[in-house]
Parts: sequence; structure tokens; C-alpha cells
Amino acid sequence: MRRVPLRAWVGLVLLVGLGVLSLVAGRLFPESLAQTCPLGWDLNRPDRSVCELAFGGLWVSLAVGLAAGALSTVLGLGVAALARLSGGVTEQVLLRAVDAVFALPDVLVVMVLQLAGQSLMDAGHGVGLGPFGLMVASLALVGWAGPARMFRDRLATLEGQEYVAAARALGGGGVHVLRVHLWPLLRPFVLAVFLSRLPSAILTESTVSFFGIARMEPMSLGRYLGTSYAALIYEGGGRVVLPAWGLLVLLVLGASLASQALGGGPRRQV
Amino acid sequence: MRLIATRLVRQLVLVPVVAVASYYLMAALPLTTESDTKRQVSPELAASYQRDLGIGEPLGFLRPWQKLFAGERLGTSAQGITGDELLQKLSGSVGVGLVALPLALAWALAFALMRTRWRRGRWAVLGDALPAIAFGTPVFIPALLLAPAVVERGHLLPELCAAVVIAIWPGTFLGTLVGDALETELSRDYVRTALSKGLDPGTVMRRHVLPNVWPALLDAVTPVATALLAGSFAAERVFGLPYFGQLYVLAVLNKQVAVVVVSTTTFATVLVVVSLTVELLRVLVDPRAREARA
Repeated sequence: MRRVPLRAWVGLVLLVGLGVLSLVAGRLFPESLAQTCPLGWDLNRPDRSVCELAFGGLWVSLAVGLAAGALSTVLGLGVAALARLSGGVTEQVLLRAVDAVFALPDVLVVMVLQLAGQSLMDAGHGVGLGPFGLMVASLALVGWAGPARMFRDRLATLEGQEYVAAARALGGGGVHVLRVHLWPLLRPFVLAVFLSRLPSAILTESTVSFFGIARMEPMSLGRYLGTSYAALIYEGGGRVVLPAWGLLVLLVLGASLASQALGGGPRRQV
Repeated sequence: MRLIATRLVRQLVLVPVVAVASYYLMAALPLTTESDTKRQVSPELAASYQRDLGIGEPLGFLRPWQKLFAGERLGTSAQGITGDELLQKLSGSVGVGLVALPLALAWALAFALMRTRWRRGRWAVLGDALPAIAFGTPVFIPALLLAPAVVERGHLLPELCAAVVIAIWPGTFLGTLVGDALETELSRDYVRTALSKGLDPGTVMRRHVLPNVWPALLDAVTPVATALLAGSFAAERVFGLPYFGQLYVLAVLNKQVAVVVVSTTTFATVLVVVSLTVELLRVLVDPRAREARA
């Protein structure tokens, strides 16, 4: 019987718990949170409490991470499947493109893509993408390379198994083998890769938002810290920094634990 | 040798690809301003922007580089820079990164040794908790926590603090990696044989175990260099250091597209140089790498 490791459960419970907490505290009942917040009011926005902004930011950061992680995983999966189905020169060209994108730091490329996207939006060519959509698209455009490389390698390993050779010998085409024989084995790995993209997307978004380059509204955790910048240096910074930092660490910890544990493969109970 | 040449070409191709891709991405952007009241861009500014990027000229994508090497100012306003200024700012960031690298290595080694020692004791949980906290903390958080002492009171050197702050994540990453490699090597038969023959543990570690750990460490240097340079962007911003990271962020914020093109390509070049250096070091240090390439 297959069983999910304890570490993965801890990570998943942490992630879901933070998601529910941010939804309830940051989105559904922000007023009651504002009334009872022990950390007081924000220094730059005297009408908003620190708890309200931190939990609201957590909700946005989590939503960005989930959407960008999912999109980059799907893109990576598509590229990997295309590479394996095409083979030969096409696969080599795709792999070189993957290596080129993977070599550049996420923060740098996301900044350039934000600049490009914002210029297009200012000119009225935003194709319905708001700041949230633009950030998700930028992170996905940067983040697909890692998953693509991992999926391609995993598919190549799985294709070496005897039952795949047997399926091919019986006339199974590339798409059939991928859909019927490889996908069921690839699924847990896809989930692990998706969870591993989550912390990376959240941290990149936080850093770019901190620089003030992304115009995320409502504010993510990174933008919240970035806009409170001057006040943080001169007065009572810890009260603002520590809760937002704590939430960010817990979020990344949850996603990392879940992805590491699931990435190690499910254990077989003896 | 042939494999090294192939690797070299693959890495070097990245530089012109980044240069051309970033140029055409920037050149394709509509010229706008953020404010609705200033949406109408003056003809002078539009012309200056087009001259700066060489739009409409034959081989226009070489225009930023031509200006750079001719010593002209890149950018459409006083916020632009010359090639000399770019190099000066890059050397500042690389300097901070070079100070951070030994700090990261020292922290990595100390953490790996502590983790190996703690692995069965009551401190074992710290071996897992420290990386989790470090990986979940963006560089700007420790920078902000140090900022009052550095920026307001001027108690500490901003460059040194930036190096300390950006060394935390790479140091922990390297430490975890080296710790795992150490654990694997220490459990191998050759270590038991060397110890049972009477060699002291320090000698076994220095002569037998560490040479087998170096390759894992070298493999991680390229991502660490990327993390150090990318981390310096945030640290420079918080500590107000006027180096390459600050230049890049301001160029993006002020839409100085020619500066963005040149800076992005310069950044990619630095990473390619690091990657090639690591590749060569790997061949020098690891006999297995030499055999694989022969």
C-alpha cells in the first residue's frame, strides 16, 4: 500500500492551513482582523492594520505562487513531451533553449518582462492582463525551463522500461504511450515539481515587488515590505518586518517540505 | 578536449542570444509613460529613444554596443551611463560578490561539519530547520534587519554587510550539499579501511574524503555565483550602494532600455565566464572529469 510520507503531510497541512488562514483573515473578514490586531496600525497607511496587510499580502503571494507554479509546470510538461515526441534535432534545439533560459537568474528576467509588459499595458495592448496576470505570466515564462528539463529526463528514463518497449512493439504510437503508459507514473513527479516551483515563484515575486517594479494591487508580501521601506529603517521596523517575514518563511517551508518529500517518491509499506 | 570545446561554444552562444533577444524585446516596446497626463511623448524624446536604440538603422541592434565602445552615454536622459561607469559599477558588484564568496564557503564548510556532527544528536533538527529558514528568506529581509545599523547610524561598512547578507543563502545551500556529500563519503568502505589502518580522522578527512567532495562543491558554484550576483541587487538597493544592481533596477524603473540591453548581456557574460572557469577547475581538480572527457 502506498503512503504519503509524514514530512509531505506536514508541508501540505502547513500550505493548506496558511491558504485558509489568508483567505479567512485577509479576504473574508479583514475588518474583524483589523479590530483585534495586536501589532497595531501600519506606519505608512494609518487606516490599515499590520495583520490586515500581512494576511492580505500572504493571500496574494500564495495565489501568485500557485498560479505561476501551475502554469510553468504545464509549460514545462508541454515542452518536455514535445521534445520526447519529436526526438532528434528538434529535441536537441529545445534542450539548448531550455539550458539558455535556465542559465539566467529569475529576478533579472522577470524585471525585464515586467518592464515589457507594463509598457504594453500603458500603451493599451495589455490583452486583458492586469498586474496579477502579468506577474504570473512573467514567472511562468521564466520558470518553465527547470520543470521541462526534469520532465524530459524523467520521461527518457521511463521510456527505457521494458513494458514501454512492448507497447511500442505492439504498435502503440508516441502519444498513446505517453498518455496511457507514462502519464500515470509521471503524475506524482508532476505534483512534486509543481510544489518545488511554488517557493521559487513566491520568492522571485517578493523580490521584484520589493524593488517596486511590479505594480501588484492588492499588495503581495514583497510589495508590502517594499513600500514600507523607509519606515522600516527609521522607526519600529521589526513590528512590520517580522510577521510578514514569518509568513513568507512558513509558506516556503510548507511548499519545500511537501515537494522534497513527494519528490523522493512514495514509500512502499512493508 | 572536444567535449570542452563543445561546452565552450554552447556557453558562449548564450551571450549573443541574450544580446539580440533583449534588444528586439526592448525595441518592440511602445514608447509610453506611466502617467495618463503625460501619455503624449514629445517628438524629441521619441527621436532620442530611437537614436539610442538604433531603431530603423541597418544593423541597429549593434547601436547600443557601438555607443558603449565609443565612450558615448547610453540612455535617453542624465540617468544614462557610459561604458567606463558601467565597468566601475560592475566591478563594485563583483567586488561585493567576491567578498561574499569566501564568507559563503566558510559558512558552508562550518555548517556541513556541524550538520555531520549533529546528525544523531539532539541538535539534529537544527540541520533541517536552518536551511528551511534560509531558503524561505529573500535577501532583502536580513538586509532590512541590518539596515538601521548600517544606513542610519553608520556603524557598519555597507559593502561588508551586503556581502554577509548575500552569503547566507548560498552558504546554506552549499553547506547542505557538502554535508550530504560528506555523509555519503564517510559511510564508504575506504574511510573505514583508512581508519582501521591507524590514520587519524583529520588526515582521513583531508587526504581521502575532501578530494571526493570537491566535485560536488564545484558543481554548485555556478548557481551560487548567480545567487550572489542576483542577491546583490536587493542588498545594494537596501544599503544604497551605487553599483551594478542599483543601476539595473533604476534602468528598469526609468525605462532606460539601451542600458537594460547592455546590462542584461553583461550579466549573462559574467555568468558564462564563471561557468567556464568552474568547468576548467573541475577538469583540473577531478581526475574522473578528465577521464570522462578523454
